[in-house]
Amino acid sequence: MRRLTRDRLTSFALITPSVVAIAVFVYGFIAFNGYSSLARWDSLLPDFTFVGLRNFQKLFTLARFQIDVRNMLTFIGLFIPACLAIGFVLAVLLDQRVKGEGLFRSIFLLPMAISAIVTGVVWRWLMSPGTAETGSYGINLLLEQIGAGFLKSGWYTDPQFGIKAVVIAAAWQMSGYTMAMYLAGLRGIPEELREAARIDGASELQIYRHVVLPLLRPITFSAAIILGQIALNIFALVVAMTGPGPGFSTDVPALFMFDTTFRGGNFAMGAAIATIMLLLVMGLVVPYLIHTFRSEVQV
Amino acid sequence: MASVTYEHVTKEFGSVVAVNDLNLQIDDKEFLVFVGPSGCGKTTALRLLAGLEELTKGTIKISERVVNDVPPKDRDIAMVFQSYALYPHLSVFENLAFGLKLRKTPKAEIKRRVGDAAEILGITDYLNRKPRQLSGGQRQRVAVGRAIVREPKVFLFDEPLSNLDAKLRVAMRAELSKLHHRLQTTFIYVTHDQTEAMTMASRIAVMNNGVLLQLDTPQNLYDQPQNMFVAGFIGSPAMNFFRARLRKDGGRLLVDSGDFAVPVPAERARQFQNYVDRPVVFGVRPEDIFNPAFTPPGIHAENVEVKVDVTELMGNEIFLYLISGPNIFIARVDPRTNFHIGDTVQVAFNMDNFHLFDPETELAIR
Repeated sequence: MRRLTRDRLTSFALITPSVVAIAVFVYGFIAFNGYSSLARWDSLLPDFTFVGLRNFQKLFTLARFQIDVRNMLTFIGLFIPACLAIGFVLAVLLDQRVKGEGLFRSIFLLPMAISAIVTGVVWRWLMSPGTAETGSYGINLLLEQIGAGFLKSGWYTDPQFGIKAVVIAAAWQMSGYTMAMYLAGLRGIPEELREAARIDGASELQIYRHVVLPLLRPITFSAAIILGQIALNIFALVVAMTGPGPGFSTDVPALFMFDTTFRGGNFAMGAAIATIMLLLVMGLVVPYLIHTFRSEVQV
Repeated sequence: MASVTYEHVTKEFGSVVAVNDLNLQIDDKEFLVFVGPSGCGKTTALRLLAGLEELTKGTIKISERVVNDVPPKDRDIAMVFQSYALYPHLSVFENLAFGLKLRKTPKAEIKRRVGDAAEILGITDYLNRKPRQLSGGQRQRVAVGRAIVREPKVFLFDEPLSNLDAKLRVAMRAELSKLHHRLQTTFIYVTHDQTEAMTMASRIAVMNNGVLLQLDTPQNLYDQPQNMFVAGFIGSPAMNFFRARLRKDGGRLLVDSGDFAVPVPAERARQFQNYVDRPVVFGVRPEDIFNPAFTPPGIHAENVEVKVDVTELMGNEIFLYLISGPNIFIARVDPRTNFHIGDTVQVAFNMDNFHLFDPETELAIR
C-alpha cells in the first residue's frame, strides 16, 4: 500500500508541472482573452469595464473584417482541395515503386520544413509582377519565355487575384505533407485488395475510384481538418508575402487581429477577433477529436 | 467451364526461378490442387494463370485461347485469396455485386445472382453487414461467394482455408468439395496442406523448388510416389526412410539396413535386379508397420526387432516412435498394443507395400 502511494506521488509530481503550465499558459490565456474581448480596453491602458458583446457587434460591421472572412473562405475553399489533390497525385506517383523514392519523398516534404516567412519572401519574389521599365520577373518571366505570356498576372498586386496568390504559396508548402499522409495510407492498403478488384474487372482508374479512395477517406478527413486549422490560422506567410494587400485583397483575420491589437492598440477588439478565430478552429477540431476518440474506443 | 494448359511456363523474379518449365494440362471440371512447401512456386503458378504475374517464358491457355497478354478481368476467372481480400468499406452484398456492377449487369440480374450465391453459402442473413462484423468462416464464405456470382470458367483458390481454425477448415473442405460437384466447373486450388490436397483433389500437382514433381490422382500419389520428395510429402505421418543395401541371400533378395534385414517378396524381387549390392533408400509408411499381434491376414509381414522410444495414444490408434540403430521411425499400430517406453519389441513390416529409391537421384526404383 505504501509503495503504491509513493508511486502515485511520483506520477503526480511528474505530471503536475505540465498540467500547471498548460492550465496557465493555454487555458488561462484563452480565458483572459475571452474576458478581454468583453471589456472596453481600446487603448494601451488596460480597462476591464464590462461592455458585453459590444466589441463583437462592432467587429461584424467593419468592412475589413467582412473582406477578411470572405478571403478566409476563398482561402480554405482553394487551399484544402489543392493540397489534397496535389498530395494525392504525388503519393500515387510515388507509390508506383519508383527509383529514388526516398529522395523524391524528401524533396516533396522539404517545403514544410521551411519557415513560413522564408516561403513568403521567396514567393513574393517569384510572383513579383515587374514593371514596364524592368521587364518581367520570376513566374511572369518564365511564362513569357515558354510562350505562355497570356497567363501573366499581377498576382498578389492584382486585387482580383489577391488571396489566391497566397493559396499557391501555401499549397506549395503543405502539399508534401498531404502526400506523406496519403502515401502512408496507400501503403496500408493490402495488395490483395487491388488484385481482387483487378480480377473482379476493375480498370486501374476504377480501382482508385471504388477501392482506394474510399479506403483513404479517414486520411482525407484528417488531412482536411489539419489543413483547415492551418488555413484558419494563416499569418506568417501572409505577413512575409503580401501584407494586407491592395484593398485588403490578401488580408486574413489573423493579420487583422495583429494590426488591431499591436498596431492599433485596440486590445479588446483584437481579443474579439481572436475569440472568433478560436471558435472557428474549435468548430473544426472538436468534432474531429470526438470522432477520433470514439472510433478508438470502438477498435 | 474450361480446360487450362500450361506449356513450358517459366517465371523468374530477378535471378530466382519461381516456376521452372511447367507443363500441365488441366481438364474441364477438374479439381486440381497444387501442393508443396512454401516457396515451391505453387502460388506463382496460380497467379500466372490469374494474370497477376507476367510469364517469363511459355504459354498459358484457358480453353484453347492463349491468355498470356489478356488482362485478368478478361480471362473469365475468379479467385479466392488467402486473406479473403474483401472490400472493407462495402457491405457483403456490395462485395458480391462489385464485379457484376463493373460489368454493367442489370440490377435485377445482380440481385438474383447474389441471392443465389448467398443461399448456396448460407450468408443470406449477413448481406447488409460489413466484412469486419463477420467471423473468419463467414468472411471465407463471402470470398467464395464473390467468386461464384461471377459464374467464371475457372475458379482459383490461393490457400483459402489457411486462416481458419482446424475445425472450420475440415468443415469448409467438405463444403468446397460439394460446391465443386454442384457448380461443375474447373477448380484450381493451391495449398501447402497435403490433407487438403488429398481430400478434395481429383488430381494433385506436387511442386518443389519451382518444378512439378508429380501429377496424379491422390490415390496414385500415395501408392506410387515417383520420388522421395513426393513420398515424404504425401501422407501423414510421413513415410519412414532407411538407408539400406540390397543383397542376395541364397535365392532371396534382402533389404539390409545394417540393423535389420527383410526379404523382398519373390514377385517384386525382379524389378530391383539392377540394384543388387547397391545402396538404396528403403521407404515404408507408418501405416504399413504393425504390432505382430494384430497383423492383418494375407500380407507378407516381416518381423523386425526395435526399441520403443515414445508412444502416443491417439484414441483409435497409437503412434510408436521406434529406434533401430541410428534410425528413429514411426509406426501407426492398433490401439490395443501394449508397448512401453524402453521396451525391446517386434514390429511387422508389410513387405507388400514398401518403396525403394535411388539415393543419388531420389527417384523411385521401378
